[in-house]
This record gives sequence, C-alpha cells and structure tokens, in this order.
Amino acid sequence: MKYLLMIYGNQEKWESMPADAWADAIARQEAFNAKYRQTGELLGSYGLADAAQAKLVRRVNGLPAVTDGPYLETKEYMASFWLLDCDGQERAEQIAADMPFADGEPVELWPVLHESAADQ
Amino acid sequence: MTGAPGAQSAPGARDIGELLRGLAPEVLGALVRRYGRFGACEDAVQEAMLEAVTSWPVRGVPGSPKGWLLTVASRRLIDDVRSEHARRRREQEDAAAAAPLEQPRRPGADHDDSLTLLFLCCHPALSGPSQIALTLRAVGGLSTAQIAAAFLVPEATMAQRISRAKEAIRASGARFEMPGSAERPARLGIVLHVLYLIFNEGYTATAGTGLTAPELSGEAIRLTRWLHRLLPADAEVTGLLALMLLTDARRAARTGPDGSLIPLDEQDRSLWDSAKIAEGLALVSAALPAGPVGPYQVQAAIAAVHDEAKSVDTTDWPQILGLYELLEQLAPGPMVSLNRAVAVAMVAGPAPGLELLRELESDRRLAGHHRLHATRAHLLEMSGDARGAVASYREAARRTTSLPERRYLTGRAARLAE
Repeated sequence: MKYLLMIYGNQEKWESMPADAWADAIARQEAFNAKYRQTGELLGSYGLADAAQAKLVRRVNGLPAVTDGPYLETKEYMASFWLLDCDGQERAEQIAADMPFADGEPVELWPVLHESAADQ
Repeated sequence: MTGAPGAQSAPGARDIGELLRGLAPEVLGALVRRYGRFGACEDAVQEAMLEAVTSWPVRGVPGSPKGWLLTVASRRLIDDVRSEHARRRREQEDAAAAAPLEQPRRPGADHDDSLTLLFLCCHPALSGPSQIALTLRAVGGLSTAQIAAAFLVPEATMAQRISRAKEAIRASGARFEMPGSAERPARLGIVLHVLYLIFNEGYTATAGTGLTAPELSGEAIRLTRWLHRLLPADAEVTGLLALMLLTDARRAARTGPDGSLIPLDEQDRSLWDSAKIAEGLALVSAALPAGPVGPYQVQAAIAAVHDEAKSVDTTDWPQILGLYELLEQLAPGPMVSLNRAVAVAMVAGPAPGLELLRELESDRRLAGHHRLHATRAHLLEMSGDARGAVASYREAARRTTSLPERRYLTGRAARLAE
C-alpha cells in the first residue's frame, strides 16, 4: 500500500527557528529518509519551495496562462511530502510517528488509492 | 558449452524467458545447497540469467540449459568470492573442480532444494512486501526492474527491499534446510499466503503492460502450479491453485471496456474461461475428499459453486452459505462473516442478512471498513431501501482505498439516486 505523508508550515514558523537548530533538524530528517530508503519503504521525499514561488496554470482559449498564486488563505501550507510503499496502515502510522517533526507538529497521513481491487 | 552444434534453433525471447524462469529455483537451490551464501548465490543466478537472455537467442539454447546456468552462475559466484577473499581462491577452485555441480544426485533433490528456497524466501523474519519481492525474484526468476514495474515503485526502492530481505534472512541465522515437521504447517501457511497476495495484487484490469510489467496473477498461478507439482498430496496447495484458477477464469468478464469493475451478478458469464473452470473444478474435487479440509479448499469450493451457475439466480446459495459456515469455523474472521451475511440474504432475504451485519458492526476490525458499508448497501438495495443504499454506497466509496472499487461504488450510488 502506498501512503503520502505531509507536513505543513509557513515562512514565519521557519524563521522563528534558531539558526543553529537547523543543522540538527536537517540531519535528523536525513537520517529518517536514509532509514526508510534502506528498508525499501520510502519511494521519495520532497521539500516544496516557498509559497511565493507557486504558480497557477490555466488554459485560456487553448493557450497556457500562468499567474502568481495561489494566495493561500490558510496560515500554513504544505512544506514537504513523502511517498511510502509499505505493509499497510499500521506500518505507515509507525513510520509517520518516527518522523522527527512529529514531536512538535502533526504529520498528515493519506492512503494513496490502489490501482487494483482490494482482496476479494 | 555455449551455443555449439546440437543447439536447437534460435527460439524467441519469450520462450527463453519462460525456460529461464522455470529453471531459476532449481539452479539457485542447487547453488545455495552447495555454497551457502544465499544472497550472493541469488545475485549470481540473476547475472547468469541475464547472460543467457543475451547469449541464447544468438547462439542457440545449450543442450543442458540448467548445466549452463549452473556453470555460469558458479563462475560468477566464485569471481565474487575471489574479489572478496583473494586468499580463499584456491580453496574455492579446488572445491569446484572436485565436485562438479552436475553430478548425479539422488532423485527429488532438485525438488527439495526448490522447495527449501521457497520456504526461505517466505521466512517469517521478513515483512510481507519483502517476502513477496524476494519470492518473485529468487523463485519466480523475475528481475528487480520487472518486479518494481509490477508494483509501480522505482527500481531502486525494489532493489533496496530485496537486498534488505536478504540481509534479514542472513541476520535471522536461517539455514538452507526444510522447516522441521512441527514448524512446517505454519511455514507452508506463510508460503501459501504470499502466493495468494501476489495473485490478488495482479487481479486487476490494468496490471501489466506486457513485457515490462509481468502479469502478477499469471505469475502467482505459475508458481502455485509449480508448488502443486512439488507437493501433490497437500490438499491446501491444491485448494489454493484451484481457488486461483476458478477466480482468474472470470477475469475477462470482471471489467468493462473502460476498465470499470463489473460485479459477479452482472458479469457476462459466456466470457468466463471454461478451461480454467474445468481445471479448477477437477482440482478442488480431488482435494476435498483427500483432506484435511482447509480454508483455501473451502474458498475454492465457493468459487466453484459460483462458476458452475449459469446466473446469479440459479446459483446454489444454500450450498454457498453452508461453505461459509464451514469457513467461519476453519478460519474465522470479519470478512468471512461479512460474506456469510450476503449468503444469508441470498437464501433467506435481506432482513436476516442486515440483522447479521448489525451484529458485525460492533467488531472493531470491521467498524469503518468499506466492505461493511458496501455489503450493507447491497442488502439495503435488495430490500428496496434505495435511500439507505445510496448513503451506504457513498460511505463505502469514501472508505475504500482501491480506485476501481471507488469508481464502482460511486457509480452505483449515482445510478440509484437518479
């Protein structure tokens, strides 16, 4: 089963973190990533750029139209996501709970729809 | 001994692939028996198979394909060992020279090795996904890239999973030997479960794009058929093979042209594969009286009753109900109880079926499970309560993690709500 893990944040929150705490936070996160890559359960981990970089893409009269945005009304937006492929919900929850950020912030866990029908 | 006169005419890549994959467990089993070091032997066999895939179509299949693979794989293995431990080189070569691998062995030794290999790949120290990956590679002879494609994960992830699985086997101290008689039924149970999971994973309309992603249901059937040849007297192995065939027989009728899921009661039964049904029926008829009766045989018997019926109305529901009652004793579980509720509804009407569901709602394993809601929706629809059925179909659609099932449930709710 595949699962998506997400953590949320915003610029204000990142800036409030003491500069010397970053190295440790990053190292702990890298250790988490390495650990689950080695078990063959982590398909990929990605950090998103700041919301200021995000664009909205539409097609207008058949042509792409790109504008700035989204102008998020929520206080926090998605900062990073991880794609897992593991034994099941219980295991996915274990891995999410092992996320370094889980000490202070919740980690969102979403099952990814499976392409085949569930067991008969 | 490659190519050479006497080699048969160049066969297609597909034939060679099938030949190689059939030989994979015997070659690997013999190698591990001889040298130990399961992980390294497994790599060596994969390399030998790769070499065969490039060499055989050009130079022809050697007279003894298995001997060729054993020789090439042993050479690879010894090369590896040599680079690891240069000092032990002499020893290895001497040993290899002293006891050629193709020496006559006692009859059945190949079978024992293959079986031991399968037990090792389904070792209880491994997680489910690791057991599946390792079985497909070491016993099924599939490449890491093929397995990764079948499960829609990057090749690097699958490679990691396989190497981790080998490491776990090494760390567990497992030896290359058959489980003892006390341990054996439980270990065989894991093996059968792994094969069943591989089958289920592939039981879908979209699986496999031919050459790149192997079709997993077919692969599970091939491996179970092979296991049945090794253990012809085991009624549960026979039962599992029958269950797979009787289920797979409905494949063509199970999905619409747009890939949508078609439930059993709406399938065009003329599309069912009569050869697979006949084979499955023969197997389950032979297994049941031989006993002891187990869950796979009973599930196969249930599939057989469905497959023998011309329509859902002429299905022998009392017999299906009896079989679910038996299954509930042999292997009790919430899903079995759910299926029994459906059978009760088909025999005695939706009201007693719904009554049973209400009892099941208190089971924590089922509360919130999409199948409970989907079953209730079907029974409410049967009873004429369209509104209640729509609500339950929608609830089930929200809770399933299967994409085809979600589409089916949402569509059913939409049709009823019109």
